[in-house]
Parts: sequence; structure tokens; C-alpha cells
Amino acid sequence: MSELDRQIEQLKRCEPLKESEVKALCLKAMEILVEESNVQRVDAPVTICGDIHGQFYDMKELFKVGGDCPQTNYLFLGDFVDRGFYSVETFLLLLALKVRYPDRITLIRGNHESRQITQVYGFYDECLRKYGSVNVWRYCTDIFDYLSLSALIENKVFSVHGGLSPAITTLDQIRTIDRKQEVPHDGAMCDLLWSDPEEVVDGWGLSPRGAGFLFGGEVVTTFNHTNNIDYICRAHQLVMEGYKWMFNNQIVTVWSAPNYCYRCGNIAAILELDENLNQKFRVFEAAPHESRGVPSKRPAPDYFL
Amino acid sequence: MAGDHGGGEEEWKQEESELKAAGAVLLPDGHFGIRLKGWHIESSKRAILSSSAVHQWEQRLGTSHLPEMVFGDSALFLLHVESGIKIHFNAFDALMGWKQEALPPVEVPAAAKWKFRSKPSQQVILDYDYTFTTPYCGSEIFVPNSPRESVEDGCCSLHWEDCDQQIDLAALSSREPILFYDEVILYEDELADNGVSLLTVKVRVMPTCWFLLLRFWLRVDGVLMRLRDTRMHCAFVTDEIARPIILRESCWREATLQSLTAKGFPSDSAAYGDPNLISQTLPVVAHKIQRLRVSR
Repeated sequence: MSELDRQIEQLKRCEPLKESEVKALCLKAMEILVEESNVQRVDAPVTICGDIHGQFYDMKELFKVGGDCPQTNYLFLGDFVDRGFYSVETFLLLLALKVRYPDRITLIRGNHESRQITQVYGFYDECLRKYGSVNVWRYCTDIFDYLSLSALIENKVFSVHGGLSPAITTLDQIRTIDRKQEVPHDGAMCDLLWSDPEEVVDGWGLSPRGAGFLFGGEVVTTFNHTNNIDYICRAHQLVMEGYKWMFNNQIVTVWSAPNYCYRCGNIAAILELDENLNQKFRVFEAAPHESRGVPSKRPAPDYFL
Repeated sequence: MAGDHGGGEEEWKQEESELKAAGAVLLPDGHFGIRLKGWHIESSKRAILSSSAVHQWEQRLGTSHLPEMVFGDSALFLLHVESGIKIHFNAFDALMGWKQEALPPVEVPAAAKWKFRSKPSQQVILDYDYTFTTPYCGSEIFVPNSPRESVEDGCCSLHWEDCDQQIDLAALSSREPILFYDEVILYEDELADNGVSLLTVKVRVMPTCWFLLLRFWLRVDGVLMRLRDTRMHCAFVTDEIARPIILRESCWREATLQSLTAKGFPSDSAAYGDPNLISQTLPVVAHKIQRLRVSR
């Protein structure tokens, strides 16, 4: 058994790698990811997965339902880390699979694959807690800069973490972005990772936060037509039922973190496309309570005032 | 945040002897709650609303935006069986409060940069209060119990009246056994990864009283923190038939990150994860104490 195979077995048991192993793994991953396009070509059949958010044991449920890599060809739409308890193990397992089977798993970047966001929403603290230093967080966030921004399945299904950008009309415009940087606060790269479809607008909307684009049905119709694609597959937003079509099946949201944050009670989904791009959504629930090492539903009493 | 628990803890169980000594009975299977001293106290925790339920709520509330996680079937209620006084907490009423208060949106730090971006033609700027700030401090309803009440008293109504009585925090600091405890999330939103908006209610029931804290907690990263706490307390009396005395104290606190850093507090959002740890650093912007009155 090779060293990498041994590491994959270890990570599958939710045991993190040594710091030196993480460093070496990230270096190997960098060599592979740097060659990928901003619009990475993916062949069908493929299984598309949405946000995971460090819910390691639930991701194992995902592999039970979808099949193991490399037997199944996977596309993950980002947000591997933050919020859940096992961001380190989750991301390292996906990265190790990427290094081991580069043509059988595609990882694209979510808005949480960022230095700034991970410092607020859990991954930074988890690295510090598990390793006693922030080196692993540095290695991983450096790798985040190399992750592709989107994928194109058989030239027909465009996949991205967030959504569209008013600065992007054609896929070629995405191909020209210099992605090897921290996710910027504005511009096309930011929009691809952050924007959301919105029912109440037809064209473009601006979030009440003053930052963040919303796009309506007309925008999606035009984009799909211009680029000759069937539909857009994205993640980024929690959906109780695991997936949700919008705008007459022109865009679908896929969410793969069941019982999100260990309390929402939602179902998760993955989207299987066969060699003819026929769709099959597979839904799944959270891992059985006890195997996850998270507390019981009822909190311990607290003498709050 | 409510979900930031540690490792796998044993499920907490009340002591049988303590329940017995207090004359308390836990609710039977399928229900989570307690009956004691004339009170029926019950909580329920369910999954977030389905997409179709969200759609119905949007129509009923007259909005097209709700928090990402609405625990619409979760609730806490406290019913004084004899008097028919029922205090309850639910997401729907809280969101009605949000809709009515309708605060103007708060801009995130990136908004300054975005003002200089080239705008797409025909851009609609949404302007609802995405922080879901609510003035909600609980719901109360009169539930006629016995025919005697409804005939003799006619229709009763409940209202809160300002008073100068204080909730006895010293008594609440004594470690008498907790016979029932729960925390219920009513709604939560991640502000699209720009912070947190969270409405929760927690309750503890002891042999001599019950006490609860309804808390709206908001952090808009890099901008502001807002904490709206409502505490309610009811001391049990020997006469279970007498009308209970329920006190309610609301305390609203708020500060911009700018004002906090000017006072020497940290500037990074990660330092403001736990409202318990920072509540005292936020200045009070409103405070009142009230007592529940019954009128007919």
C-alpha cells in the first residue's frame, strides 16, 4: 500500500494527518490544481455534490449513497470547510482523493475557501485546536487559491458554487480570470462564489447588505443561451429538501450537508448525471447520531441569568 | 452559537427524587416538558420549515424573504392551568414583529467598495431588513380552562404593565435543582456569511420558580452587534389556584464595531462569537420591567 493510500485510509477513519504530511500533500495537490482551467472540463457520468461544511460523518453517508471514489466520478462545488466539527479531516480527505485520482474527482472553490471567512466561521480555530499552530490552516488556504472556479460537464451543464456575475457574459471571460488569489471583495471572481438566484427580480438585484449580486430568470436564460448550455448547477444555499430547481429548470441548487449545523433537520442531495446527462437526485440523511460524536439533542442545563 | 457544543455528552436526566420532592411530573413520551405547581411547561424542537411551508409563511407575512432557517414548528409554552394564562414563544409572531419594525438595511463593509462597481443595467436594490431584527418579547394568550372562568369573568385579556418590581436575580443565582431545562431556536440566519442573526429561548424550571431568557442576537461582521434580551420570571406560590405573578424584563443593547474598537475592544469579528461573553460590553439602549395583568 502506498503512503498516499495509507493516508486516505487514515482520513476515512476521521483521523487527521501529521502537519508534515499535510504540507507534502498540499504541494502535490498544487501541482495538479495549477494545471486546471477556471472552467474545468468534466466528463459524464459524474455525481455533483454541494456544500459539506466539515460534516465529515455526513460526507461518509454521501459516499455510501453515491459510491466510492474512484468508482464514481465526483464534482464537489466547494464549501468543504467551516461550521461543522471536522473541516480538517473533510478537506484533507477530498484533497488526498484529488491527488490520488485527479481525473475522478473535481474540486471547485466555494466562498468559504478563503482566509478571511475561515477565520470567522471555524476552520482557523479548528486547525489551531487540532495542531496547536496555524501552519495547517496556512497550507490549506494556500491550496484554496489554486482551486478552479467552475466546471463544465460535457459542454452542457455549467457548475459553480454561487452563481452568475454581471461582469461575465461568456465562459471565455471566466477563463481569463487570474484566480490564484484570496477571494476578492468584488468583481467577477467574487460574484461566481457569492451570488444567488432570486425570484423577485428578473434581471440583476443588489442585496440589501449593499454587496452581493442577485440574479433573476432572464439573466439565467440569456447566459444559458449565449453559452449553449442546458442548465446551471450551483450550491451555496441551504435547501430543506436537498435540491431545488428555479426559473423553469434553468438552474438547480444542490445542498449536501444533511441536518446542517447538526440542528436544521434538512435532507441532503447529490445529483447523478449518467453518460447521456440524464439526471437522478439521490437524497440522504445525516449519519446516525452516535457515530458523529456530537452531543445529544437535549442540552445540559445551565444556570443562565 | 447555540450549536457550538463540545464532545459527546451523556444525555442529561433529572433526579427522580428531586422531581418527587417538588411535586413535579415530566410529560409522558412524545412530549418534552414538566407539570408542577399548577403549571404545564412544554417545548418542542422540530426541523426547519420545508420549502412549501416557507412559501406559505411568506404569503401570510407579506414578504418574499425569510430567515434561511425558520424553526417554524418549534415552540415553548408555559400554561398556568387554573387561570388560563399561557405564555408562548414561536417564530411566526417574532417574524410579524420583524415585519412591523422594518428597520432600514445595514450595509456591510464591502458595500463601500461596491458603490464604485459598474452597475448592470436595470439593477433592483432590495431593501428589506435582512438582519431579521425583531422587537418580539413573547406571546401571551388567555386560554379559558373551566366553564366557571368563562361564565363568571367573561372575556379576559392579558397585557403587560410597567412596574418597579425587579426579577430576583439573587434568588436565581442559588443552585436549587433544575427540574426542567431546554433551549429552543426559533430562527437563524447566517446573513449570507456576513454574521449571524439568531432568536432563541431557553427556560429553566426549579422547585420554587421558572425563569426564561428570550434572546435576539445579531452580529453583522465588521459593522455592529445587537442584543435584545427578554427575561421572564414566575415564583411559585402555595396556592396553585391564585393568579401567578409574572415579571418581564427587556434589555436591549447595541454597539457598532467602530465604537467598540474606539474603547479598546478587538476589531475582528471572531472575537464576538459568544453573546454571553460580550453582552456587558454593549451599552444598554432600552430597558423596561413589566408585570402581566389580566383585565376583562
